[in-house]
Amino acid sequence: MKIMKIFNALRDGNGFESALVIAPVVYLVAFSAFPLVYNVVMSFQHVDMFSIATLNRPFVGLVNYIDVFSRPETPGVLWNTVIFVILSIVFQLSIGFALALFFQNDFPGASYLRGLFLAGWVMPALVVGAIWKWIFAGDFGVLNWVVRSLHIVNAPVFWISDPAVALYSIIIANIWLGIPFNMILLSVGLAGIPGDVYEAAALDGAGPFQRFRTITLPLMGSTLGAVIALGAIFTLQQFDLVAALTQGGPANASNVAQYWSWQLSFETYEISDGSVIATLMLTVVALVALIYVRSVQREQRL
Amino acid sequence: MKRYVFLLIAIVLAAIYLFPLYWMYVTALKSGSDIFRYPPAFWPAHPRLQLAQVFATYQVDRYVWNSFVVALGATFITVLLGTGAAYVLANVRHPIVTVALFAILMLQVLPPSLMVTPLFVAFNQLGLLEWPRFAVVLATAAKTLPFYIVLCRATFTQIPGELRDAALVDGNSRIGAFLHIVLPLARNGILVVSTLVFLQSFGEYVYSRSMIATKELQTATVGLSSFLGANSNDWVGLMTYASIYVTPILIVFVLLQRHIVSGLTAGALK
Amino acid sequence: MYQIEIDHLCKSYGAVKILKDISLNVEKGSFVTLIGPSGCGKSTLLRLVAGLEKITSGTVKIAGEVVNDRPPRERHVAMVFQSYALYPHMTVSKNLTYALRLRGRPKQEIDERAAATGQLLGLSDLLDRMPRDLSGGQRQRVAMGRAIVRDPQVFLFDEPLSNLDAALRVRMRSELRKLHQRLGATSLYVTHDQIEAMTMADTVVVLRDGVVEQVGAPLDLYHRPANRFVAGFIGSPAMNFVEGIVTEDGRGVVLSQARKQRLELPRPLQSGRKVWIGLRPEHMQLGGAGKKQKFDVQVDTVESTGSMTFIETKADPTSLIIAQSGTAQVAGGTTITVGINSEDIYLFDIKTELAV
Repeated sequence: MKIMKIFNALRDGNGFESALVIAPVVYLVAFSAFPLVYNVVMSFQHVDMFSIATLNRPFVGLVNYIDVFSRPETPGVLWNTVIFVILSIVFQLSIGFALALFFQNDFPGASYLRGLFLAGWVMPALVVGAIWKWIFAGDFGVLNWVVRSLHIVNAPVFWISDPAVALYSIIIANIWLGIPFNMILLSVGLAGIPGDVYEAAALDGAGPFQRFRTITLPLMGSTLGAVIALGAIFTLQQFDLVAALTQGGPANASNVAQYWSWQLSFETYEISDGSVIATLMLTVVALVALIYVRSVQREQRL
Repeated sequence: MKRYVFLLIAIVLAAIYLFPLYWMYVTALKSGSDIFRYPPAFWPAHPRLQLAQVFATYQVDRYVWNSFVVALGATFITVLLGTGAAYVLANVRHPIVTVALFAILMLQVLPPSLMVTPLFVAFNQLGLLEWPRFAVVLATAAKTLPFYIVLCRATFTQIPGELRDAALVDGNSRIGAFLHIVLPLARNGILVVSTLVFLQSFGEYVYSRSMIATKELQTATVGLSSFLGANSNDWVGLMTYASIYVTPILIVFVLLQRHIVSGLTAGALK
Repeated sequence: MYQIEIDHLCKSYGAVKILKDISLNVEKGSFVTLIGPSGCGKSTLLRLVAGLEKITSGTVKIAGEVVNDRPPRERHVAMVFQSYALYPHMTVSKNLTYALRLRGRPKQEIDERAAATGQLLGLSDLLDRMPRDLSGGQRQRVAMGRAIVRDPQVFLFDEPLSNLDAALRVRMRSELRKLHQRLGATSLYVTHDQIEAMTMADTVVVLRDGVVEQVGAPLDLYHRPANRFVAGFIGSPAMNFVEGIVTEDGRGVVLSQARKQRLELPRPLQSGRKVWIGLRPEHMQLGGAGKKQKFDVQVDTVESTGSMTFIETKADPTSLIIAQSGTAQVAGGTTITVGINSEDIYLFDIKTELAV
């Protein structure tokens, strides 16, 4: 009898709704939430090749953290990560915004051409990295041909192997990857502004730049917040590009925190240190995510 | 007239942006000596496709097949677990739902390269690495599930609640209303989002690289990256590999382009 | 001196002609309404004067100067939009002063103008509110205030009252009229509501399919419509139209074939000529007392609102609507006598539809 009751609740009562939600929640707790916690736990333990299979590992407090922060490469990598995120966002946003504004104009084929840009978003990032590696090639890459023909530089630039520029090659590829997503989201934000508000501003005496400054930008506030936060999040998730282009080299010149964490765990098997970086990065990511969610939930009631 | 100037500029802009794709295909069609020409040739002197060679040298077919298996598995789990949740989160008003939505939104941000460490350790301890592709499927599904739920929820919110109520009054159970009435209506949106999930999983790298040791079971991305380091000079072969791998993705993209745009925008800003 | 001169104005979108050779002059300080069915081009005409659309051919002059190529901000016109188009992210006060701030006017002047306008429209308490916190009527007044504060040469109104509920609309109509009398500003007002047009305007312009059908004072259009369209458009309920043929003697017209009812014409016409006979519902009186001509009709339905009674007659071949003030004691299915004066019989040529 009890079983029938449960079954009926599942079929018809509130049990139905709960059941549909419980399964994915359990799954996510197991494969997302739990690893999150495990990361933090491992950062306080001593984990290496030998203790990887056991649960019982020595608890060492903050030793791993101290170890990570006393490494010579740490400030460089963290600083690289900051530059990586800031430059990526700045250029993805401005180019994406410019494209979104351009495609606001009405001309035949506008929506189709705008959709073509999404090809960049759909491609596997690793393949994108491979293609850009070829474009960046020192002697025979097409980019060098372009910049030399335009007389921007005189000698070939070694985008991948020169420590001074290696990071920027990753940034360029990342900007390329991020433009379509920015553009589409900003287009949607722009479309949400009623046309007659622009007309009223024009009648009130505002020229195109003034309209952009006093009408468009303020009304795009929450969209911009969401786009910037998402841009930061996606950039912090970016791994494949680094793996394809420079693998963090030469000598960590282009290394960023999320790649370094993986290197520590999977190339040198310093798993505790890998977990430390991961834990630190996850806190940063969580903060940015909070901003994103706030932006999305803040309603722009017109 | 002004409109056609815009069109021209738009075509130029799109061409500039899509140049890397063009370059991938053009390189694949070049012969060995063409690669090392400077200035670079924008169209091969003698275009030829080295498919057979590339398949032999790089075993593209096996790697792409593995990618396909992983993508299929991850999509299957995601759709199975996510659709119902998206439906409930779209229709039920309850403080718990707001919290759940918030949590799911937050889960989208976790970088796989940071999650892979604990997942690997845990899987290792559980012996799951005996079935490496399955392990990758499980990890990938955890990544795509929040994304899927958020976008599908947007699809479900567009279906009027009255339809479900009418179904219930007409005699359906809640399961029946969901399966027979709501689901068919949401079918298109679900298909689009599932395709996006599939495409994402098809291009997965980190988990595959970290969890699959046996070469025969590795995915296309891992295969490609292993050839990137050592054989960096065989650009023709590499770009051909990339073309083979990426062309199905692009075909699907071109077919579904319009739907993908609307699906994306609905989810990200709501 | 004409404040607005519109000369042979044409507007096309590709092959589609919206406005076909419009010529119109608006005197300084007058209130002109543009009225017509949807799609007639009245909003397009307004937007061409504002500079929001490009002119295909013809000229628009404001205060004597040709403004064809001038952008909106150089035309010194203000517009009140149907949806108000308030700046959603600015307070009422900032909405009102936006144009002045753009021009860099001194702060004191801006504050004074804002306060004065706010008081004029009863917005003084709302100056710090955001548009989304205002009611429809309040938003409407802010939209008006925004236009007034700029002291423009011309006011343009694009159906500003159509989003308000009926009671509010009536109130705003008289307020707008009073405002106009007070400010004396040249106004061009687009509406599809003929009651607004008739009660508010000095001059009414009736448009149909991009062509001006008639221009004149409201009562002129009512009493002396130039063609059948204007006659049917002005007046509510609409004028009844019955086909008729002028009798042999040229002095009468046959009203109903079956009953052979004949009406005497106000002036003689060529016999055998086919005409539209126009009869306003309010001109036909039950019982016919005090009216020169009488004829019988069969009642089909009777509707009473308390203050007015509307009688619909059986089709014979066309049914007529008769409007009577007060409550009439009439039952459906009966035959009643109806009276009308000869000068209230309107005639329009069957083919050209022009007034005869």
